[in-house]
Formats: sequence, C-alpha cells, structure tokens
Amino acid sequence: MKKKSVSSSLSRRQFLKGFGSGVAGSVALNKIASALPLQKTLEKAANDANRTPLNLSVNGKTYRLSVEPNRTLAEVIREDLQLTGTKVVCNHGECGACTVLLDGEAVYSCHILALDAEGKSVTTIEGLLGGEELHPLQKAFVKKDGIQCGFCTPGQIMAAQALLLKNPRPAKEDVLEGMSGNLCRCGAYPKIIESVLEAAKTD
Amino acid sequence: MADSKIIKSKYFFEEDFTEELAEVSANKYADWNKKELKVVGKPVSRVDGYDKVSGSAVFTFDVILPNMAHAKTLRCPHPHAKIKRINTKKAEKIPGVLGILTYENAPKISWYGKSFLFDPHLRYEGDEVAFVAAENERIAEQALKLIEVDYEILPFVTDAAEAMKKDAPKLYDDGNIRGGKPSVYERGDIDKGFEEASAVAEQTYKTQVEIHNPTEPHCSVVNWDGDYLTIWDSTQGVFSVRDRVADVLKLPASRVRVIKKYMGGAFGAKLEAGKYTVMAALLARKIGRPVRIALDRREMNLSVGNRPDSVQKLKGGATKDGRLTALYQYSYGAAGAHPAGAGCSWALRTMYLCPNVKTEEYTVYINAGRARPFRAPGHVQGFFALEALIDELAEKIGMDPLEFRIKNHTDRDQVFDAPYTSKLLLDAYRVAAEAIGWKNRPQPAGSDAGPLKRGIGMSSQIWWGGGGPPAYATLKLNRDGSVRIIAGSQDIGTGTYTILAQVASEVLEIPMEKVEVLLGDTAVAPYCGSSGGSTTAPSVSPAVRDAAEQMKAKLLSGAAAHLNVSESQLVYRNGVIHTKGKNKKSMTIREIARKMGERVLVTTGKREANPDGYAINSFGVQFAEVEVDTETGKVSVKKIVAAYDIGRVLNPKTLENQIHGGIIQGLGFALFEERIIDRNTGKVLTTNLHDYKLPTVKDTPQIDIRIVSKGDSKISNTGVKGVGEPAMIPTPAAIGNAVYNAIGKRIKSLPITPDKVLTALQS
Amino acid sequence: MRYFDYIQPENIKQASESAGRDWRKALLYAGGTDLLGLIKNEVESPAALINLKAIPGLNGIEYSEREGLTIGALVKLSQLSAHEVVREKYSVLEQALKETASPQLRNMGTIGGNLCQRPRCWYFRGDFHCLRKGGDICYAVDGENKYHCVIGGGPCFIVHPSDPAVALLTLDAGVTIASAKGTKRVALKDFFVLPEDDIYRENILQPGEIVTHIHVPPVSEKTVSGYIKFRERGAWDFAVVSVAATLRINGDTIIDGKAAFGGVAPKPWQEEKINQKLKGLSVKPGNFESLSAEVLKEAEPLNQNAFKLPLVRNLLKRLLVQLTAS
Repeated sequence: MKKKSVSSSLSRRQFLKGFGSGVAGSVALNKIASALPLQKTLEKAANDANRTPLNLSVNGKTYRLSVEPNRTLAEVIREDLQLTGTKVVCNHGECGACTVLLDGEAVYSCHILALDAEGKSVTTIEGLLGGEELHPLQKAFVKKDGIQCGFCTPGQIMAAQALLLKNPRPAKEDVLEGMSGNLCRCGAYPKIIESVLEAAKTD
Repeated sequence: MADSKIIKSKYFFEEDFTEELAEVSANKYADWNKKELKVVGKPVSRVDGYDKVSGSAVFTFDVILPNMAHAKTLRCPHPHAKIKRINTKKAEKIPGVLGILTYENAPKISWYGKSFLFDPHLRYEGDEVAFVAAENERIAEQALKLIEVDYEILPFVTDAAEAMKKDAPKLYDDGNIRGGKPSVYERGDIDKGFEEASAVAEQTYKTQVEIHNPTEPHCSVVNWDGDYLTIWDSTQGVFSVRDRVADVLKLPASRVRVIKKYMGGAFGAKLEAGKYTVMAALLARKIGRPVRIALDRREMNLSVGNRPDSVQKLKGGATKDGRLTALYQYSYGAAGAHPAGAGCSWALRTMYLCPNVKTEEYTVYINAGRARPFRAPGHVQGFFALEALIDELAEKIGMDPLEFRIKNHTDRDQVFDAPYTSKLLLDAYRVAAEAIGWKNRPQPAGSDAGPLKRGIGMSSQIWWGGGGPPAYATLKLNRDGSVRIIAGSQDIGTGTYTILAQVASEVLEIPMEKVEVLLGDTAVAPYCGSSGGSTTAPSVSPAVRDAAEQMKAKLLSGAAAHLNVSESQLVYRNGVIHTKGKNKKSMTIREIARKMGERVLVTTGKREANPDGYAINSFGVQFAEVEVDTETGKVSVKKIVAAYDIGRVLNPKTLENQIHGGIIQGLGFALFEERIIDRNTGKVLTTNLHDYKLPTVKDTPQIDIRIVSKGDSKISNTGVKGVGEPAMIPTPAAIGNAVYNAIGKRIKSLPITPDKVLTALQS
Repeated sequence: MRYFDYIQPENIKQASESAGRDWRKALLYAGGTDLLGLIKNEVESPAALINLKAIPGLNGIEYSEREGLTIGALVKLSQLSAHEVVREKYSVLEQALKETASPQLRNMGTIGGNLCQRPRCWYFRGDFHCLRKGGDICYAVDGENKYHCVIGGGPCFIVHPSDPAVALLTLDAGVTIASAKGTKRVALKDFFVLPEDDIYRENILQPGEIVTHIHVPPVSEKTVSGYIKFRERGAWDFAVVSVAATLRINGDTIIDGKAAFGGVAPKPWQEEKINQKLKGLSVKPGNFESLSAEVLKEAEPLNQNAFKLPLVRNLLKRLLVQLTAS
C-alpha cells in the first residue's frame, strides 16, 4: 500500500510540473484572488472618506458610527464602544468567546463585519445586566460555578442565552448542542452544562 | 505570637526544585477539625463570580489606557534563518506607524541564555524579527508586511530523533543536545534487577507536542511615568515578570510595578516575562505612549510554549508474584529552539516500589517553538508510558493490574529516602475501583462484543504540590470590621481569591462579604511565588491563616485593653469577643475597629516551613471507561472516576471544577490535540483552533470525584496539597489503558486518533 | 484584515457587474463565515466585497409537490434545517445541516455560501504558496496529508468541506446561477470540479456568476434518507469522511438509491456504479457489506490517509442498515 502511494504521488508530481508551467502566466492571474498592491489598500484605509456610516444598536442603545468596512463587529464593540466583556480569542469563528446576539440569535462577532449589524439589534454580555443586577442566567453561572478563568465565560453565557430564548426548557442533549460552539480551555464544561440547566429551571 | 525565622526553603516547582531563603512563621495553630469548620471546606461560590459573568472583569487583554498605542510582532516565516538585511523604511512611512524595533536599533539584551531579545539568528518559525507600534492594531499588522527582510535560509531540523544525529543541522555551536549529555538517574543495580525478573516487558511509547492555547492570549499593556514602569500582564507570576523586566531594563525593582487581576488561562505558559513585554516597554519609552501588545492565535500556537513531545523506551521486570524488580527508561524530547525541560522520568522513579531503577533522558533542540511547563510537565507524558508498561507487565505475569499496583505500593519516597507526610492512595484505589466497576471490565482485553467495544483502564498519579515558603499575606482590618487580604499571588482561574477569603472568614468568624482579596500587584502585595506547580493553595492559604490568627490575637488584645480584663478571660466567637462567666461583657470586631479610629490594624502572615525529613506529595488514581467504535476507530470516553489524596479541600465547588478541567485537558491530550509540523518545510500546520483540536462540550465524559483525604497537618496549618496538576496526570494513561482493554490492541502513541485505532484493528 | 471596499448592489445584475471578470477585483459576500477567514489568512485579498445580503429575493424557502424545494442562496443553515418540509421530507439534508460547524456558524452561514466555500487544506489556508494559490507545488502530496483526498486528486489533493453538498447530491439537487447575462440551471453534480479541470477553483462559477437558488426535487413517500458525519471530536469539526444516502424502498427492496461521500475527494463524491447497484438491491446486511466493499475502488490514498477507505465503507454499511431498519 505504502509503496503504491509513493509512486502514485510521484506520477502526480510530474503531472503537476507539466501542468504548472503552462498556465501560471496566462490563466492564473485572473483566476486567483491574489493581492492588490498593499500600499494602495493602505492609502484607502487611511482615508477617512472611505469609512462607511453605521447605525449600530447595542444593548438597546443606538450609536452613530463611521467605520472602515474591514472592521469586525467585535472590534467595534470592544474598541469604539469599549464594551470589553466580549472577548476575542481565535478571531476566526473557531472558539465562541466573542459570541453576541444579533436579533436574538447567537453569532461570532469576531467573524462578521460591523457593517452587517446595520439595522439589527446586538446584545452583548453587558446587555444582560439590569443596572448592576445580574440576569438569572448569569446568577446561575455563579451559583453552579460555570466558570474558571472567566475569559470564555461571556461567550458561553451569550450562547446559553440564545439557546434559552429558543428553548426555555432544554434537555441536557439540547444544552450540549446549543453550547457546542463555545470552547472552554479550562475544561469547565460539566459546570457550564449544570449552569445552563439551572438557569432553565429557575428562569 | 508573630514568631518567625529565616530558613533555607526547598520544594519542587513544576520542573525542578526551587531553593531560596524564606522567612517562615513559627506560630503553631490547632488542627482544623473538618466538622467544626463553617466556611472552609464548604462549596462557597466564587467571590469574583460577579465580575466574570457580568463582563466587567478587566483582563489584561481589556486594559485601555489614554493615548495607548498598539503593537504587533513580525515573526520569522522560516524554521531556521539568519537576517542578512532588514529595511523598515517603507513601513515607517505608513500613516499611523509610531515606531519599529529590530535587532539593529534595539538594545542587545540577553535572552534564553545563548540568544538575545532580538537575535538575527532565527531558530524557529515564529522567532521575533521586528516589533511595530501604531495607532491601532490593523495599521501595525499591515506595517509588518512592508518590512523588507532578506533571510539567509538555513537547514532545519524539527524532529528530536533527527536532531540527535551527528550530521543534523545545528541550532547551537555545541550541538543539539542540551548540556551535551543525558540526564541520568540510577538506584540499585538495574542488571541484577532484570536477572531477578521472571517477566520483562519492553516497549516504546510516544507522546505528541501539546499547545497550551489559553483563551486569553499572552498580552501586556505597559506605561511609563518617567522612569517608573507599570505593566499590566497576563501572567501567572507578577514577581517573576517584575524581576525579569527590572533586570533586563536595569531598573530598580521598586520602579517596576506588575499588575494582574484576571487572567484568561495559562496552564504553565505564562510563568515568566515574555519578550513581547520587554519589547513593548522599550518601544513605549521611545514613543512616549503606553503600548498594548496582544498575541494572535497563530502566534499563540507558534511562539509561547508547548508541552514537549517524548519518545520513551521503557523496560520493566517483575517476579511471578508481582514484585517489580527493575525499571529502565531511555527517553528524549524536544525542548524547541531554546533551553527548556523535556524530561519525563519522575513517574518511573517515584510511583512504585522498585529497588533497581535507571533513567537516561535527553533534551533536544529543534527548530520549533520553545517548550514551557505545561500542567504537570513530564508527568503527563511519563505516566502515559509507565502505566501502559505496568499493565503490560501485569498481563505478562497474569495478575490483575490493580492488584499489581497495590503490590508495588510504597510509603516512602525512594529518590530521597523519606516517608511521605501522608499517602492515602490505597484508599483511593479501593473507592475508585468500586465506583467504576473494575471487576466487571471486559476480560480478556478486547472480549466485549463489537462493533462498540467497552473498556476500562486505570492510572495512578503522584505529584509534588505541597508548596512551601516563601509566601506572605498581609491582612488589613478596616474600621468597620471588614478585612482585606493582600498577597502577591495570583488567581489564574482556580479560585484563589475565593479560598483565601474563606480562610480569613473562617479564622475571624466574619461573613465572606466582609473579606476582600487583592492579588497580583507587586507594588502593594508581599511576595508570593508564581501560580504554578499546584503550589498556590498549599503555599498561600497557610500564610493567610497565619495573618488572620495574628489579627485575631490583636483583636483579643484590643478588647482586653478596652474592657479592662486580661486576655485569658476573653472568648472569641462569631466575630464577637466576650468575657467568660457571668456578667458578660462583649465587643464586636467592628466596635474594636472603630475604637482604633482610622488606624487600621495590619498583620503579615507567613507560610511555615515544610517538615524536615518528609516527602510531600499528592496521590490519586483515575479509572476511565471508554467505548471504541471498531468500525470507525473513534474513542469516546464515557466516564472517569477520580479519587484523590490532596490533603484538605478548601472549597469542593472550585475543587471539582479544577479536577473536571484537568480531566478534560487530559482527554484532549489523549484523543485530539497535536501540534503538527510539515516535515518538508518545517512550518507548523496547526496554528488555529480548527486544526489544533481542543475538546468541546460534547466530548465531556461523566466525571465522578472522590476525595479520600481530610487534611495533612504535617504540611501546614491548612493541611492543603495542590490539585491543579494531579487532576490531569492520570487521564491520558487511564484512557490509553482503557482503549487496550476495549480492543485488545495497544496504541502506543498519543493522540489516540481514529486512523491509529483503525490501523491497529486491521493489523 | 486588509482594507476593502464594501459594495451594496440592489440587484443581481449590479452585483454581477461589480464582480467583473477578475477574482481580484471583488468577491461575493453573504454570511462571510468562510470568506472572512480567507481574507484574514490572506488567501483572498479582494479590493471589494459585494454584499449579496442587500439583494432582495434570495432569502426564501418554497415548496411545491411538483417542483420540490426551492431555496434562496442566502437562507441561513439554521433557518433551512428548521424548515418543516426539510425536517419532514429531506432528513439527509436536515442532518447534514445540523452537523455543519457550530450553532453560531449555522446562524451566520448561508446555504449558497456553504456550497461555494473553499477547501480547509492547511497548506491552502496557511502560509504556503501552494498550487491552488498559484504556486507550483502541492505540499500535501509528500507532506501531512491525513485529511486529504483519497480519490479524484491530482495535482491538488484537497477535500471539499461541505456537508450539505454531499446530502444534496443524493437528492439530485441543482442550482441556479445568475449573472448580468441571465440565468442558467445546473445539476449539482456538474457544479463542482476536480483539480484536473481547474486547480484554482472548486466549482464552475466564473467571476460575476452568482448562485441564487438551490433546487431539490420532490421525494416520494417511500423515501428514506440520512447522513453520517465522521469527525474526530464531538462537535464543530469538518468531516474526516461523511456518507449520505437517499433510498426509495418498497418492501424488502431498494427501488432506487443514491449514495454520496464527503471528505474523500476534491468534490462531493458519488459513484455511478454504486448508485446502479443500489437499484433493486434487497435489504440484507450481507448485501450492504458487499456493496460497501465496492466503494472507492479506484482510490489511491496518500501516505497518511488510507484509513479513510475502511472508514467510509463501514459508515456506508452502517447508514444503509440504519435506513432500512424499519
């Protein structure tokens, strides 16, 4: 088996060499989304005229902003609004720490553009509070210790909130599914599950 | 009261022994009786829970200072190269770029022993080339791309076995083996031991490189006020960072303040000052603005630490009646590009009674990111191999693996020839074996009917984690009777804030709400060690008890003065001091405090010395029940039973959580996680959280925790041993043995992925 | 991310014209779950994004007995899997959707975008100038290729990452492709391309062409279907391999059936021979065993991925047993 695949990979590589030299010059250029000169895009980025107006509704308050199109919702929430409860861990939609609600549904704010939130309602972890009073879901996380270092916690809670909005009485299986888009490196999962079930009980 | 002395203190921290002078408390306090405790040992909710669930907890990552600049690091794209020429002119011209550091304009600061803060010799993909500060992170990131670097590309080696060969590309002039020779340990006569053996097992086991990947990236925010430097740092050791930064910047320690209130995980990767912190400090000074530097996930996977891999050739001998006669280990592991420990032989040296032991370990340099201590460094790797060998030996002599382990139980540390202060491992075995249903495991291995085959496996565990001095805590009494604990330790998510408050609350008999804890600030707190090695609770909680007991004594003295009675006539109960007998007179803490006006009372508690002539270790066992899908090769961990002797439990709620975490990290190491380097280019492929696979909530097994210990009064006044690392040590080994029990084939390398299982099943 | 312009077209024609004829100029942007990752990793560096979400009419799910399902390309994965008809009649699609990514990504990602997503190959996504990015080497061939394809590869060895695409193949789905010039309808099986036909793209779309709708023919009463995704961890992972099947059953006989496979080839894979053999097959575990053994006969695994063959065969057998159990 091994021998065979080695030889087959060799033949493929030969194929590849013949293939590559013929097309690289002509076809490739417009087929590949390769970079435009960086300098040019930097000039654009530096020009305030290239910002786009954005009405961003976060936690019930509307902000009139002007943002570059390439900024993510998480960046604007954290930097412009200074709502730092929303965390950025992977910045790639691969961990869930940046989870916020967009019109009531959980999304990764690090992986959508701020401009995409125009006309929608954003809820962050800070938006769950009533003044300084914790939301029952937040209280459940304290009571059941669904926390260790606390860095993924806001994202966990927002994912749980989205789940409970849709399904106020989830079974354990529903909780596992609903929370499956949020990593916790400390491994607090058992108590996160308990916290969500507790909130479903008391809410 | 307040007796103290200075001693030479020595205890094990992560990878080695620390030895330093320490002022220790000579105060003796009555042992705590579990039944009488009101706060300690109770499932108190985290005192920092509010901050963490509300989003108001400000982590270093969240610190925003006025006029703050943002930095990014240019890292070497090659596994091994030298900078021939570097040109930053284009990058400097970008609007918003504030300053750039490279080896050409930065001070030559020694780093990693043989290297420098900026070293034109780049030894791994991710090595630092330049550091840029700009108005925002996006500009800094784009500026990196306009820095022109001409690299001389050098031959590389990214595999430890290859790097040990004579003709391998060299990272350092004196070769790739750290120290030029193996680290050797020997006791008894290994040859004689094998001669006595009636069964010998010999096997090679491998473990992979694991990346810490804490959620909060390594990050710092630095700010200069003239010559005074303040650093907010995501660190496990504020004093460690302060000392390093002060040293390399040639500042008095008094002029460097390091603050860490909350930190999003570390697991050993944040025990020392990072290069990025010093670079930020240098550039901040140059541009006259505060600088924030936060690494991105790719950098986290390349540059700030990992658990080194291991290749362990083990050989063990036993008599027919189950006595170990000899254990031998030859192993090597990759330190990465700079000095780090890659040893893993403590398991084999210390776990079981064996008179003849020899270990030879090589730590090898390769062109990859440097290893750092990672939750039980060496032990997690070492136990995976040792416990597999023990199972294989047991099978060879036809003995139940648990019985075999019990037969080779030891009450003495064999390396230092000293008795343990306590060891309740036999209790742990008994309790856990019953809970998992050990007797009902498939016998022989692989005999369960498929396609889903169930299996049960076990692993013992030993760790240090007794902590020791120096560790100090200051207690301040406020005029309303509330108190504040101030200590230079840090809460890294384990619940340190909470357990320290519990200790003060217990001693002073005041509600938890009246105790505040301030940690992680070198400017105001007395010294504590870094939070690692499972030493925080065992080192710091006794210092807090000492401080609180001293405070209690002062309060008694104050009450005696006010009430005009002798102290011996006074009783302290529930935060109230009253006279004995009839005609009771009393004072609350609050009243005493108010009488003293705004002059607060302060005490400083100290961790007492560890007992002479004893070894302090924690012990435990985990049993894993797995289900192996023989048609897909997938291993599902159904249940883990974990039983521990970890001294006194201060808080069962945070304790459980920490054990869960250790088990789940161990499960990730056993089944999913692996840093993969492309063999042809030497570049890391797993640089994000999709390719580097952390366990998800759906991988969580059922976990059953049993604590068999009550409190070890020989160690300290709180009797605590640390649990952070013990929680992870046995998990991969137990899972590995369970997989063998399920399918009758041994997977000798981690992680146990479906491809390996399917291949083994087909062989 | 680098700077890009953000274009808000009002209709397909505008969108298509904005895209022009050059992939470098502008890229179509919907859910962004894949595209933003590509931009962050600098696999793609477009001068502009064309926000399709601004265009009306791409967001609906319609069903008729005659036409079956018509799904707007901008329908979110979570929206589609929750749709009553999908749950009732198209189990294979429902399951594939639910197994995709994570809850959050399913709330963000669109079905059109899912079909058009780019491969997850770590060389392609990483700091490697590989064949698919215009370089002249496929690093996977002699590199770390555990997750790469076992069939249909060469000179590039990616696997197609979509789950729903595999399910939709067994349902004989098609797509409508629109451009400034008009619209055309293409069977899904003709939508994807192999590297030997185009090493730079995974489908037939040309710049300026936009998938607007996905069409799924009606299924008869006696149809059963299902999807098994095999991933290494419990959630949130691309398929190591996956298997989909849609079967029409009468009594103990499969009248007609289609199977498709994910994670094995640079495109969602099906084998005509297997589909032919499903026709008229009587429901017996032994039959499924021998049929499954025929799957991927032409495979040429790379050094690290031969395990995918027993895996995919075992899963097909398992799926067929499950689907015919009742």
